[in-house]
Amino acid sequence: MTTKTILLAATLLAGVALPAAAFAQDFNPDATIRIGSLYEPQNLDNTAGAGQGINEAFNGNVYEALFQLTDAGSVEPKLVESYEASEDGLTYTFTLKAGVTFHSGEPLTAADVKYSIERVTAEQSKSSRKRSLSTITGIETPDDRTLVITLSARSISLPYNLSYVWVVNDAATDITAAEDGTGPYSLAEWRRGSALALERFDGYWGEPASNGEVIYTYFTDATALNNALLTNAVDIITSVQSPDSLAQFSGNPAFTVTEGASTTKELLAYNDRVAPFDNVQVRKALARATDKARLLNSIWGDYGTLIGSFVPPTDPWYVDLTGVDAYDVDSAKALLAEAGYADGFEFTLDTPDYDPHPIVAQFLQAEYAKIGVTVNINVITANEWYTKIYQERNFEATLQEHVNHRDIVFYGNPDFYWGYNNPEVVKLIADAEAAGSEAEQVEKLTQANRIIADDAAGNWLYLYPQIVVSAANVTGYPVNGLNSQFFAYDIEKAE
Amino acid sequence: MSTTIASAPARPPRSLILWAGLILVGLHVATGLLSLVWLPYEPTGMVGMRLEGPSLVHWIGTDRLGRDLFTQLMIGSRIALVVGIGAVAIGAAIGVTLGILAAFASKWLDDALAATLDILIAFPTLLIAMLVVAASDTASLWSAIVALGIALSAIVARLTRILAKRVLVMDYITAARTSGSSWPKIVAIHILPNIWPTLSVNFALQFGLAVIAEASLSYLGLGAPPPNASWGRMLQEAQGTVYTAPLGAIAPGLALVSLAIGVNLLADGLRDSIDPTRRAR
Repeated sequence: MTTKTILLAATLLAGVALPAAAFAQDFNPDATIRIGSLYEPQNLDNTAGAGQGINEAFNGNVYEALFQLTDAGSVEPKLVESYEASEDGLTYTFTLKAGVTFHSGEPLTAADVKYSIERVTAEQSKSSRKRSLSTITGIETPDDRTLVITLSARSISLPYNLSYVWVVNDAATDITAAEDGTGPYSLAEWRRGSALALERFDGYWGEPASNGEVIYTYFTDATALNNALLTNAVDIITSVQSPDSLAQFSGNPAFTVTEGASTTKELLAYNDRVAPFDNVQVRKALARATDKARLLNSIWGDYGTLIGSFVPPTDPWYVDLTGVDAYDVDSAKALLAEAGYADGFEFTLDTPDYDPHPIVAQFLQAEYAKIGVTVNINVITANEWYTKIYQERNFEATLQEHVNHRDIVFYGNPDFYWGYNNPEVVKLIADAEAAGSEAEQVEKLTQANRIIADDAAGNWLYLYPQIVVSAANVTGYPVNGLNSQFFAYDIEKAE
Repeated sequence: MSTTIASAPARPPRSLILWAGLILVGLHVATGLLSLVWLPYEPTGMVGMRLEGPSLVHWIGTDRLGRDLFTQLMIGSRIALVVGIGAVAIGAAIGVTLGILAAFASKWLDDALAATLDILIAFPTLLIAMLVVAASDTASLWSAIVALGIALSAIVARLTRILAKRVLVMDYITAARTSGSSWPKIVAIHILPNIWPTLSVNFALQFGLAVIAEASLSYLGLGAPPPNASWGRMLQEAQGTVYTAPLGAIAPGLALVSLAIGVNLLADGLRDSIDPTRRAR
């Protein structure tokens, strides 16, 4: 009995002491961190349609902005020392940090920042935040460290929106294949189709990175990526995309599994311009005919969250709207009948060919059959999605994962691909942007959020979980997947 | 002594091969036919929980959406048979016609056709099929069948051409010609019956090829669109859950292998019983 107790106590002690020892153990400051990812960037420029992969690899690591969206979701100054807004909110004066240099060795000047903002707002820019910065009417640079931005209307989220503007040296050329940023790492090598290597930048203005080198290795297949971690070919998987592969890692002391908040929403988007989706009752009926809890369980097992709207809990204007148009097949049928579709209707669902969209489409097909609605699944590639749906708006309904943070503002744009046009929401979102205080902004956007949910503007199926798996000797990585950014500079590796 | 050599002791008796093939293929044909009139569950019905294991209710478990895997497997048999028969029929129609034309054509046209066929055969069947599917607007079961049929036709055409040419130099053909028989008559009475046994064995082999190729196309998302439960699609959907629910991948895999082996055994057995040189004395 006594022996048993002692043994138990010893085991408990060891259990507590071991991880502490692991943390206390000196990490190698020059370690190479090997990150496995499924998202290879198309190019290296976030204004040239490079995809989420470039955000993951470069944001905060290679490029920095005036402000930074932290892993916790707050906006903090980065390259800005201080800033002030005029009384009317139409003029912002920014003072840049001193002693910041680009990787090329040139010092950061206000002219570089002006150039960088203009790259995002330029006509050929494909930045998702281009429209948010459209209120900028003038940028002046009275001296090398001062930047004055004038606006046509108040814009309370200007600092937030500026966190999307990578500051690039204005003398840099061809930044789709090279870089010149101010971040803690510079680009060492990019092998297209396989890997992207970053090395610590010795002339960094801030705290140097906790590791010497970061290599992003790209996989096209999740199983191969999992195997790479199992065989110690990578140290971290940035975003696990299936709960079933976790069985190999959870419960195994050689690995750490974390679940954080993501901003990725699985959306059944209707083309609200075309019949029958221009009818609110039809959209509400489909929302009520969707057993989202069951769908989430099918795709993610016990992970993920139902949100009932387009706003995830990490956005300041989140409210739980899962109660709006909750699952109720009978009332769905009644609504359809009221809308004049008692016998149902038929529509084509353009479905991207990668997981989880095809399986989600089959789920919806089976669900909507119960209310007499026939879904024809048309599988398309990601490129086809971009041209057919995003550009040409030639669709009835589609599935898409929306990764952006604070993207409810898309519903304030009647020209967006889904064509939702409610003047009240457009006004609320514009007013929120012109708000004098954050409280007022939050209030307006919360109201807008409730209206789009009541209008069933889209069918927000679920919020992805953000699951990171790493080898146990690696710590300090970001656990949330906001905008799919992945800051690598605090990662420590014990060896 | 001579009988020992002739009966090739390492080889199982031909009737056994034929029977094994017949049973395996027959099982799939029976399942496919049965699926037309009876299924354990609605094919798209989400009747169970996520990834249930095998039980009395769901014999080989359920998939991620809770759909019964055995029901899908049965439909898979039907789809595989339709694809095999359809693709071979299209391949045979195009291939035999082209092959006979080449055999009768002038030397110049024959050479050109033969060279074209050789080039086509140099491409993997799957690659040609993928090109055809990509050229059609949307992927469907029919586009997959037509694509495979076209891809298979080159192989059939080459074989037909060679077999037909072999028959064409026979004395009885010369006799038929001199007695004034028309070309169509010669083809119908003399050529087709003579080359038919070899061709039919080849068709059985092509059938197996087509079934596997369709599964590959569906696996790549170029075959039957969801929710058609093609074995290839089942394999693809089970890929992510292979560690937690391996049966989801093993079951369609076994079904595919058993049909492919069955067809090959059947072809083997057929050849043995048709080919007089292999007949046991």
